[in-house]
Amino acid sequence: MPKNAVKNPVTYAQLLEANNLMQLLSDETYWLCVTRTTQESKLFPVSPYMMLSYANSYYRYPSLLRKIEANMSMEECGDRARNMGGKTDTLTMGWAFPCFYLLGREWLINMGMLRPEDGVEDLVYVMDCWKRMQLSYHRNDGHLTNSQYGHRSQLMAERQLQVFEADLHDVVAGDALHIAASKFMATVSQYQFLSHCECRIGICNQGPYSFGEGRELIVRDFMDLAEGDYPWLDGVAHNISYNNLTVPMVVKDTHFELMDDWGSFESTPEFRAENIVRIGLYTSDLLTDSYVPVAMESPQALAAKFSELTRLITDANQVLWKKIAGWSRAEMLQAGALVYFNVLKDVAHIAGVYEQSDWMEIDERAQRLVPLLNDEYGRDVLTELVGLLTLPSQVCSEYTMSMHNNASKRLYSPIPYTILKTGDYTATCGPLGKGSSLFKKVAGWRTSRGLLGIEAFNKAVREFTPFACTPEARYIDDNWVKYHYKDPDVEALYERTQATSPRLANKGAGLKRADIAKLRST
Amino acid sequence: MKNFLWDQNKYGVEESTAVSKAFHHSIRAKVREKFEASGVDWKDFVFGNSNCLLTEADFAHVEAKLLATGYRFDVSAIISSTEAPEKYKALKGPDESRVDSAINDGRMRVGQGDNVVTYPQSVTGLALYVRTTEEVMTMMMEGVPPDIIAIIDDSGGTLTAPILEHFKAVVCMGGTVRSHLGILCREYSIPCLMNAKVGGVSNGDRLEVNYAASAKSAKDYQQGVEKFAEIWKLV
Repeated sequence: MPKNAVKNPVTYAQLLEANNLMQLLSDETYWLCVTRTTQESKLFPVSPYMMLSYANSYYRYPSLLRKIEANMSMEECGDRARNMGGKTDTLTMGWAFPCFYLLGREWLINMGMLRPEDGVEDLVYVMDCWKRMQLSYHRNDGHLTNSQYGHRSQLMAERQLQVFEADLHDVVAGDALHIAASKFMATVSQYQFLSHCECRIGICNQGPYSFGEGRELIVRDFMDLAEGDYPWLDGVAHNISYNNLTVPMVVKDTHFELMDDWGSFESTPEFRAENIVRIGLYTSDLLTDSYVPVAMESPQALAAKFSELTRLITDANQVLWKKIAGWSRAEMLQAGALVYFNVLKDVAHIAGVYEQSDWMEIDERAQRLVPLLNDEYGRDVLTELVGLLTLPSQVCSEYTMSMHNNASKRLYSPIPYTILKTGDYTATCGPLGKGSSLFKKVAGWRTSRGLLGIEAFNKAVREFTPFACTPEARYIDDNWVKYHYKDPDVEALYERTQATSPRLANKGAGLKRADIAKLRST
Repeated sequence: MKNFLWDQNKYGVEESTAVSKAFHHSIRAKVREKFEASGVDWKDFVFGNSNCLLTEADFAHVEAKLLATGYRFDVSAIISSTEAPEKYKALKGPDESRVDSAINDGRMRVGQGDNVVTYPQSVTGLALYVRTTEEVMTMMMEGVPPDIIAIIDDSGGTLTAPILEHFKAVVCMGGTVRSHLGILCREYSIPCLMNAKVGGVSNGDRLEVNYAASAKSAKDYQQGVEKFAEIWKLV
């Protein structure tokens, strides 16, 4: 401890790490935003609702994370997330969760409502939660974020990828399955932007994974499709039987050179549906072991399922659009802010502690800022905050050359180390404030066990452990498998993953690509 | 006077946009006023007294003060100016009069944009501006006319959600190829230009848009590479 340091529960090492993580996010946020303009919409006041969500995140995340961790650690939540296609993905966990909190903090600093040395224990804790969640979620590729991996995410274990390689159906541009799948992906993407109030967090992509012969697999997740956390989907999405759908697709002659922390991809040449050569459809949630095939028994059945889902989602899209077109600005502002703010909600679901009032309400400390949020201020302060980096707190020493533009700027204010000497800081923004919502939840939650009330859903989640997360299987990784593929625990894990695979059932852990190719050809 | 964070700002930089600067000046002054009147240390003020001392009415006053100068805000979402027209500037209509170039081979250049995906050839069709929920609702009920190149001044994916797939092509006067509308057009295989500048086009004009131009990438935006596709009016 330095000679003049005060006794302090926050350590130098913690501050060094928190500031490092913030800088990493600062660099990446700038890069993600510079290639896009501020997303505006004629329908939703997008920038104003983003700002409201950031303030809500700042005031609520620390308490909600502590509530989650009272039941399950973030690293265990990361293990669960890695084995399913839910809304705990690279976009929500890798970027949005820490950054919404940090953007709220930076905004409040610039309004004079905070100093960089306020809420320090909260901040250190939030960054630590993020780090543990991410390291666990990215365990298979060994990185903290997609950006740290050169904008790539390889989250899945060999056992799951082998099932996809064995069972995805061949398609050729123009055949019935190709047409149905392409139409489905466009329709569901459209629906997700609408149901998420112009926000992209209902869609996430991961990969690429090598599938040999110049082909690459990317895995596309579409989450929160059905009745669930969003009250505006009550009734509207009643006929949608899956809350999460995952579409693994193999693409030829296309290299996905970029899979960013918003789950968006870029490829060379640019992605075209005609280059999809294999495709499948799966569902998963907190109550499934892993990915469950949906109508995968034949290409014909899968094409029919894609077409059926397209019809249902098109209908829901039309009804929802009319509903939203009738909303007041206050409803649009709040719905959008809640969708943004609750990017972290699925971690609460994983821990079995989800409560609607935690995640679907605006804290009174954030709500008081609403009168500021006209369209122009919302747009301009957001643009300064994430794109121009021209807010006063973001300017730093004239010698600084930031990562992507050489400017003397950084997005997030670091925690001053002098607090270790002076003790002049505050620890926490305090417990949840009183919340309010303009939306009333009336329907149940769509799960793989049917529609459940929230208490039954939480109870079922708390009582269920996916096989891959049991003590016997949790720590088995691909490198261990390499040397121990005959180990009974490894065999059991592979066989459990293969249980619903027509081609791989009971084939175990010893398979390689050539073996799967043989199985496909017989 | 109590010590306040913004009393010392070594680099002296202020917000770069007018409304942010005005709002933040007012809010910081209000925070200082309430803090000084509170009689407590910052540590007790920041997450204690400030929660009740800085109220919704204080923030409403910040906006009212700027509006009282005669300033009116830019509008983004239609609902904002519909509900509070007194706060917003009037929405501008499309610039149908501007002419960029002379007629050449029966075509007149009327704009350009960033191509989302390169298609084998240009697309011709009829121009139709899509700007309001009422227009979308009408097309939802009556159907989208055939052969339409929609000119949309909204880079989002929600305004046109019920009808997007029925357009032959899209020209969007905002965003980048990575904006939501660009992403959706790629999914639907609808030729699309983003970040377009268009002038001299009226509803019903026959357009030719060069969707065979090179697509613009994230790297192009980051490095400031100019790469655009042209829009022609057939006359």
